Amino acid sequence: MASKERGTLLKEKHVRYIESLDKKQDTLEFWLTEHLRINGVYWGLNALCMLRSKDVFNREDLIKFVLGCYVESTGGFAAFPRHDAHLASTLSGIQLLKMYDAIDSLSKSQIDKCVNFIKSNQMKDGSFQGDRFGEVDTRFVYTAISSLSILERLTPEVVDPAVDFILRCYNFDGGFGLCPGAESHAAQVFTCLGTLAVVNRLQDLTKAQVDEIGWWLCERQVPEGGLNGRPSKLPDVCYSWWVLSSLSLIDRLEWIDFEKLRGFILDCQDEKRGGISDRPDNEVDVFHTVFGIAGLSLMGFEDLVPIDPTYCMTYDITNTIKKYPYN
Amino acid sequence: MQLKNELDLLFWSSELLFTLAQLRQFPKVYWIWNHRIWVLENHLDSSVNIWKEELVMVSKLLKIDARNFHGWLYRRIIVRKIEQLTGEKKLFEELAYTTENINNNISNFSAWHQRTVLLSKIFGENENESNAKMIHDEFAYITNAMFTDAEDQSVWFYIKWFIKNKVVRETLEPSEYARLLQELHSNVVMINQDDLEFSGKENNWCLKILIVLDDVLKNIGIETCIEKKKCLEQLINADPLRKNRYLCLLNDGQ
Repeated sequence: MASKERGTLLKEKHVRYIESLDKKQDTLEFWLTEHLRINGVYWGLNALCMLRSKDVFNREDLIKFVLGCYVESTGGFAAFPRHDAHLASTLSGIQLLKMYDAIDSLSKSQIDKCVNFIKSNQMKDGSFQGDRFGEVDTRFVYTAISSLSILERLTPEVVDPAVDFILRCYNFDGGFGLCPGAESHAAQVFTCLGTLAVVNRLQDLTKAQVDEIGWWLCERQVPEGGLNGRPSKLPDVCYSWWVLSSLSLIDRLEWIDFEKLRGFILDCQDEKRGGISDRPDNEVDVFHTVFGIAGLSLMGFEDLVPIDPTYCMTYDITNTIKKYPYN
Repeated sequence: MQLKNELDLLFWSSELLFTLAQLRQFPKVYWIWNHRIWVLENHLDSSVNIWKEELVMVSKLLKIDARNFHGWLYRRIIVRKIEQLTGEKKLFEELAYTTENINNNISNFSAWHQRTVLLSKIFGENENESNAKMIHDEFAYITNAMFTDAEDQSVWFYIKWFIKNKVVRETLEPSEYARLLQELHSNVVMINQDDLEFSGKENNWCLKILIVLDDVLKNIGIETCIEKKKCLEQLINADPLRKNRYLCLLNDGQ
């Protein structure tokens, strides 16, 4: 570790790393990760936005790719052309269009169908299944509600039961699980608080609950400086986003040590080829790259474009979203 | 329904074998767990037997990876199904399962979590008298646990939930509740003293829980000799990663 130069975000290298991902179409790995492609593109573009390098991706090509993932028969987005639509890839598709200010490249009837696709996956208890195969998880509540919010199509019929479901996922320790009764996990805390933030219902939590949430979240920081997702687990760069965005949403961002976390994230950089890994000296990937950079952005380091903890997109983009409840 | 009639028993059994092999290799993939539930729900054998076998299977997987939250979630689904099919609750058996897991590894937070879920259910169904007995036993259990490993946060998160739990507060006679809390309080002070003598440093988690205990005792009209303010000031130095939280609590108290 001594050789590592502490204290700089290798911005140019990260931009080049993200740029290179699109050019790996001759590798097996590229094709094996098809089922996550649209998410990967969103992670890459989001990182580029924070790094002020949005133009590295070709806008027209990307919009074409996203529209190619739209599934006419169901109205959702798939992770890759000719795959099935899913709520997780639907949010990524909508985010990508929003980031290019291109929601209107969908026709009115395509948007209507998309809204119906999302709503049709809501269950009686207010939760959402990811697709018709019935996997229920607070992740899909967030992806559904955030998608509808970006499309500015939230309604009380969808929002109120979803909020009830989220509140039922609150646990004894101050965290949230993936469904009622499930163990607290930092990524689920983000999806739950994020949902409440999108629909302007964070005030449904009591002051005592918010203090407990803040306590549980700040105990995620380990002596190395990184954050873990659950007690007694190893730190991982992606929690720089899940934990910090959550703390930010309840206005307790400074309850962890910024300098220590910054050092941990910077130690996870690949200094030669760019990109950020989960832990120092591991293989980098675009998922940890974007969430490492997003963590630094939330803490206000490195002159990055500020990111909105509610939507995980930069503020210049999210500022234009109409806030719920609509007047 | 259609599938169920078209496919024979061999298909469903081989599908279970196939997903088991996948789970052994990729125990953290949501889709495999989810598919397996679908297979069980649609299995030609709709008796309780396949679900009971499944409980044995998931116990084995949790032995290999005791913190796999997919496994714990899956276990809750399987148990619920067995309860529905047999009409018999398995609350106490499952509570014993968490005890076994915690005794194996006191840092198994997944098991502590499951314990809060089960105890809450048991409290809701029990008569007052048996609840009182359980609460006494639980005070003894957590005391034992914190003496076993006072460094690990799992047990402390559990303790802070347990002492503030509504049923715990309301089931016991006020004097009995106060006595158990004070006993717990002096045990935490003792662990902290031991740490101080042994390592020259106070135990951060003892300080954090003393602050909670101080609040709980104050609420029932008992002053402790431990000063909350002093604990917070100590933590600011001893646990600098979280110093802003302690500063916040100090301000709140003023």
